[in-house]
Amino acid sequence: MITTITLIIPLLGAILMFFLPDDVRLVRYAAMAVAAVPLVLALYIYFAYGSDLGAASLTQELDWIPSLDIGYRVGLDGLGFGMFFLTALLTLIATVASWDIRENARQYFAMLFLAELGMLGVFAAQDLILFYVFFEITLIPMYLMVGIWGDENRKASAIKFFIYTFLGSTTMLAGFLALGVLAGTFSIEGLNAGGGLGRTAQIAIAAPILFGLLVKVPAVPLHSWLLDVYVSSPTSTNVVLSGILPKLGTYGLIKIALPLLPQGVEPYLPIVAALGVVNIIYGAFVAFLQPDLKALVAYSSIGTLGFILLGAASGNAVGVNGAVLQQVTHGLYSALLFVLVGVIASRTGTRQISELGGLAARMPWAGGLLALGALAAMGLPGLAVFVSEFMSIMGGYTAFPLAGIFASLGIILSAMYLLYMLSRVIFGPIERPAYKEVTDADSMEMAAIVPLAALLVLFGILPGILIGVQQPAVEAVVTVLGGG
Amino acid sequence: MAYTGETFLGLLPELIATGFLITVLMVGVFAERSVGLVAALAALGALATFAGAAVLLAIGFSGEFFGGGYVVDGFALYFKLIVSGSAFFAVLAAARWSGGTGDAAEYLMLILSVVVGAMLLVSMRDLFGIFLALELATIPSYAMVAFDRNRRESAEGGMKYLITGVIASSILLYGMVLIYGVAGSAQLSDIAQTFSGQLTPVALIGLVLLISGFAFKVSAAPFHFWTPDAYQGAPTSAAAFLSVAPKAATFGVLLRIFLEGMPGAAATWTVVMAFLAIVTMFVGNLFALRQRNVRRMLAYSSVAHSGYILAAFAALQGQAVPTAVQAVLIYSAAYAVMNMGAFLVIDLAGEEGKGYNGLFRTRPGLAISMGVFMTALVGLPPLSGFFGKAWVLLAGAQSGSGLVYVVVGAVVVNSVLSVPYYFGIIRNMFFEEPAGVVEQGEGGFAVEFSVYALAAATVLFALFVGPLAALARASGLL
Repeated sequence: MITTITLIIPLLGAILMFFLPDDVRLVRYAAMAVAAVPLVLALYIYFAYGSDLGAASLTQELDWIPSLDIGYRVGLDGLGFGMFFLTALLTLIATVASWDIRENARQYFAMLFLAELGMLGVFAAQDLILFYVFFEITLIPMYLMVGIWGDENRKASAIKFFIYTFLGSTTMLAGFLALGVLAGTFSIEGLNAGGGLGRTAQIAIAAPILFGLLVKVPAVPLHSWLLDVYVSSPTSTNVVLSGILPKLGTYGLIKIALPLLPQGVEPYLPIVAALGVVNIIYGAFVAFLQPDLKALVAYSSIGTLGFILLGAASGNAVGVNGAVLQQVTHGLYSALLFVLVGVIASRTGTRQISELGGLAARMPWAGGLLALGALAAMGLPGLAVFVSEFMSIMGGYTAFPLAGIFASLGIILSAMYLLYMLSRVIFGPIERPAYKEVTDADSMEMAAIVPLAALLVLFGILPGILIGVQQPAVEAVVTVLGGG
Repeated sequence: MAYTGETFLGLLPELIATGFLITVLMVGVFAERSVGLVAALAALGALATFAGAAVLLAIGFSGEFFGGGYVVDGFALYFKLIVSGSAFFAVLAAARWSGGTGDAAEYLMLILSVVVGAMLLVSMRDLFGIFLALELATIPSYAMVAFDRNRRESAEGGMKYLITGVIASSILLYGMVLIYGVAGSAQLSDIAQTFSGQLTPVALIGLVLLISGFAFKVSAAPFHFWTPDAYQGAPTSAAAFLSVAPKAATFGVLLRIFLEGMPGAAATWTVVMAFLAIVTMFVGNLFALRQRNVRRMLAYSSVAHSGYILAAFAALQGQAVPTAVQAVLIYSAAYAVMNMGAFLVIDLAGEEGKGYNGLFRTRPGLAISMGVFMTALVGLPPLSGFFGKAWVLLAGAQSGSGLVYVVVGAVVVNSVLSVPYYFGIIRNMFFEEPAGVVEQGEGGFAVEFSVYALAAATVLFALFVGPLAALARASGLL
């Protein structure tokens, strides 16, 4: 029940928005209040049930299309809980960081909450069709958020985003339908370990599903929609777009592709691992070349998604654990960096790295936390990303030694461009007289930044908080894969 | 032949519709000025017909009449519901428009005639009965398309529709005659004896002509070229109604012909349907991409959607047959709500793509409704169109045939291909600034009500798809 209640709250919030008076401040505070509820519920679930999420718990099942055994089946397990929590958190951060949404704020937050419904739903779905429905519910709100509230390039970016991801997801749907109809059920639990399908059928079905998921991530040859969308979006949308949406793809890989088609994905796992490494290396190299701070962060984000692919493809407990953890840590750091880019751009009026400089003197807090975020992104020990990247690489190395070696090279590359960025943007003399006047982040902005930074530190020191929750569920996936 | 009470009960929906048809005509003659009264009568007639069919379905009525040539089963009643339900919204949309010309009664009477024809059609089990019912549904529709006398396009569209329609009917009749000649009977059950395994050349020609004739009627490519002109010229309510109701009934009877009349020849006609489906999908979508006029865009879109439904016909083989039948039934219902809604928006927002600019700012409710219809036509969950497409894909996955996999691939590709033109409207409505002068459509309260009701049905379709699937499974055709 509590799972369904958590899902319904964003929907009610979206409806509530239309009944509010058109006053930006009031609407923003109301949105924050709505967004806080799922977060509180997620925290409650963690403290009440966190140690007991090996298999799907807190489940609820209602008939939907009984003749095909499609049902409204939701529940939380260790694989999904981390992202479920992060979705609730980042939606709240997105409402706080919505300072560049000045027009039609009610509609904006209604869209944000619809998207939250879809994202929370994906991480709670225990039925293939329901998973797909939630997966797609995010599309229209995100399309409108980019297209209405984005920058001058927003219209083209929005449709590009939509067409790419829709191509991926429709292909994935064909795979889902084939899997469910051949196995006779769409229940994720009932389909565990292939639902009785033979190896050839599994291999055939795995191909469209993997394709769809990899477009969503995006894995590198399929990534060309991403940069425009990230750069065009308002800061608040970026938080969700980079923090949660790619995880719909990686989570699908870990929750559906691996345990439901253990024999089917087997031949593709080396390819997925290779794509992960390509993401890491390519993302780092291209990030190095970006003159725009936001584009640099976007490519950095693509790069570190590669660790999730590598860890998941490894198929061993260490790697998959790392991948599941990296989903959360990546969301924290990329959201932090995107918010900070927004703050800096709003003060200086530019995102061009060449025009920035010496901001630490004028913006000690924002600058310092940008440094923290960048250090987290390059995997500095003591911060959360280090743990998950390290585990992903270790797992990846065990399964595919060469991939593991190249992936660790990626860490060095990312350190190079991130340190270069820091040295240009934060340190050094103040480049322009105008920047002498810029002010530090205000209290509202700090409210969006500090929780993310604090969690990066907290999970860096005590990763067991998250690993403890996900461990049993990861073990189950690995067992299915090994026994397949 | 004895006409028992059961016969009258079986014909209840048709009798109700015919009764109201005559009443509407009479009231129209004697009370020329009372447009509201005739419109209310016609709407009531559509609702009563719907209720009649619903009651028969609820009590599980089934039976054969007129020597087995006419059957009332769940399958037929399902389509009668679609036909009479969409007629209700067509009447609502037509009421205001036809008021201006002073002959509302004739127009509303034409709608009810199409309803009678289409409802008879899905119950026919005899080739010539099928032909007669099809003509009964088609001939009034020529008049409906040409009804808007003040516009040249209406006459032009009506003329093109009439000429191509008559040619199609002759082809269809020729095919039926050949099949009759081969089988020695026009009853579907007798034809099934002859049409199995390897077909003789004459039988094959008959089959191909029959399919071609039906392809005209459902605007499948390459027999679709009348569609954009007819829909552009027709009054909006006519285009909205004709694109869903008679089309659904035609698909229904085609399903009956194939499954009851020639199940043994499935290997032949599934191949024909597969090619027809692929060509229709691509032609519809590729031409729709080029349209700036929303009416023409929706006309080509309806061609594309015929292609998706034909894809389900291609999957009518092996163990996929029940799922494929379900796909046709669910797709028809899903398409009826979303496509009628999209057409009716034209009466409120105009037919020029640019006219939709900034609609979200000026009329948010209408923009959101149109957004819902466009998104549903793309096939995004949880809206109605998704379930139609999902069932087609399901049937394809079950069929286990390589050719059908190709068709399924084409459905996926075409769904993506259709995004730019549907989303072009959404872009105009949500992303663009309102144009200086906003072209106000001519629709009234009734149209607005229909649009919102259909938008709600499109969104809430997900809640009814479970029972609908059960209904489709128990439809009695299998």
